[in-house]
Amino acid sequence: MSLTLALSKGRLLPGAQALFRQAGLAFPQDEGRRLIVPTDGLRFLFVKDTDVPTYVEYGVADCGVAGKDVLLESGSDVYEPLDLGFGRCRMVVAGLPGGLDYGRSSSLRVASKYPRLAAAHFQARGVSAEVVRLAGSVELAPVLGLADCIVDLVETGRTLEENGLAVIEEVAACSARLVVNPASYHARRAEVAALLQRLGEARA
Amino acid sequence: MNGNNHSLVQVPPGVQCFVGQEARVRRAIEEKVVGVFEGWDYEEIIPPLFDYADVFAGGDLAPRTYSFPGRDGSLLALRPDFTSLLAKIAAGRLSARPLPLRLYYSGEVLRYEPPRAGRRSELYQMGLEHLGGPRVASDCEVLAVAAECLEGLGVTDWVLALGHVGAFAGMLPEAPLDPLHLQKLRDRVESKDPEGVAEAARAAGLDARVSEGLVRLTRLAGTPAVLEEAEAALQEFPRARAAVAELRAVMDALAAAGLGARLAVDLGEVRGLDYYTGLVFRAYAPGLGFEVGGGGRYDTLLARFGRPMPAVGFMLGLDRLALLLERQGLAAPPPLPAAEVVEPGASAAALGRARTLRGQGRRVRFGGTEGR
Repeated sequence: MSLTLALSKGRLLPGAQALFRQAGLAFPQDEGRRLIVPTDGLRFLFVKDTDVPTYVEYGVADCGVAGKDVLLESGSDVYEPLDLGFGRCRMVVAGLPGGLDYGRSSSLRVASKYPRLAAAHFQARGVSAEVVRLAGSVELAPVLGLADCIVDLVETGRTLEENGLAVIEEVAACSARLVVNPASYHARRAEVAALLQRLGEARA
Repeated sequence: MNGNNHSLVQVPPGVQCFVGQEARVRRAIEEKVVGVFEGWDYEEIIPPLFDYADVFAGGDLAPRTYSFPGRDGSLLALRPDFTSLLAKIAAGRLSARPLPLRLYYSGEVLRYEPPRAGRRSELYQMGLEHLGGPRVASDCEVLAVAAECLEGLGVTDWVLALGHVGAFAGMLPEAPLDPLHLQKLRDRVESKDPEGVAEAARAAGLDARVSEGLVRLTRLAGTPAVLEEAEAALQEFPRARAAVAELRAVMDALAAAGLGARLAVDLGEVRGLDYYTGLVFRAYAPGLGFEVGGGGRYDTLLARFGRPMPAVGFMLGLDRLALLLERQGLAAPPPLPAAEVVEPGASAAALGRARTLRGQGRRVRFGGTEGR
């Protein structure tokens, strides 16, 4: 049986497709609504981006392509042996210009699609923060006074700018990662090692 | 919400209940594993279900331990693992026994766990501890027992992934690192994330030589041939090299005993660093996304209980083994022969007849089920 690889049809799909082609690995053509697509080499599983670490952690998929942002938020027990080099962006704290002094605010309200990550970031700085979980249009929160700042993924920074927000600090640099289930890594090591090598060479 | 009727129907998260055939499958696995333990001359211990919370306070399980005040005001805790209890008993009640001690256990442990992959609050563990024996020889023995358990259960394509915490610890400077930096570094090594390790090493202020060495650990995993690569890569770190040499001695001995094809190296295995002091290992098999068991050497734990001695042990999770065997389609225990129905009826002799059949070893159902 071939290895199963989970990935999403979102932001990272074009980069993944280009890299897999570069590595000489089969990659599904436009498959419409099919969610499981077998190819010559790998069996592809198309899932929601935030679910990729879950499929891999439970071993339903042997490996997957996931953004570092998603991995930071999920906290799943998966291996991340390869930075695939595409989908680069930054996880930042952003707010209205004029800045935000963590030292002076006794309590901070933070809006984010990444509540775990946001909470951990401020906790590590000793700032007591109330995290409001939003599913989208996070940039609105500081503008409308729902939150003092946001923690969000920024690619070009244009969305922030258009909404009158500025980056306060960078939390992490993010890019697409190849993630591997620990049991698959060891119990199917020949196939996993071959995949890692081919993708690693194609990336370089 | 937690009204009267609600709690009489719903079950609290994390607990399990097994009925009929499921229970028989688990019993059969347990009997097989315990048979292997006894075959290697390990002696059973049935420790208490709870003890003073202090007994369990040493390890990383402490925050996940269910604790409660006893009648006399002392803090008690449900056992989150067996090893601390066995160490306490070995250092106390069994203190006059000659070493090494070979002890095994089989039973439930309780932990507060958020529901996640393969994790429950109530886990059934079968494991053993080899206390006070020589380092490499007892490591090998314990691994051979683990291997025989997996063989005996008929698990296919299982692998024992072996590491040594000294490969990681032996590269760090003598002066202790800030605990938060150390935690981050371990977490990234454990995830085999080379970029993350480099970043964490920078944050911890480690020099480039150490950083490079730690990054290498993320790739030092695979066939036993990786050990040669490791010895070359870790040349500048004598303590780390000694650890790899010790691991090699264990792997060579196991290979000579015919287990070579089952072994993998994983020098990025650093999860239990607070606890383990040497060899660490995990057992994996295709079909289950997480390990079925694991263990390692913990030479400092017994000193907590006043009887310092080297120790090594491992455990297998019954819940995970049952799931693995089911996924691998391995034969469940054969069904029991059908029971003979003896109708109680009006005759006073019926119970006597049922007893006679039982005396002959037959299965009896005393009174048929209505409507069947």
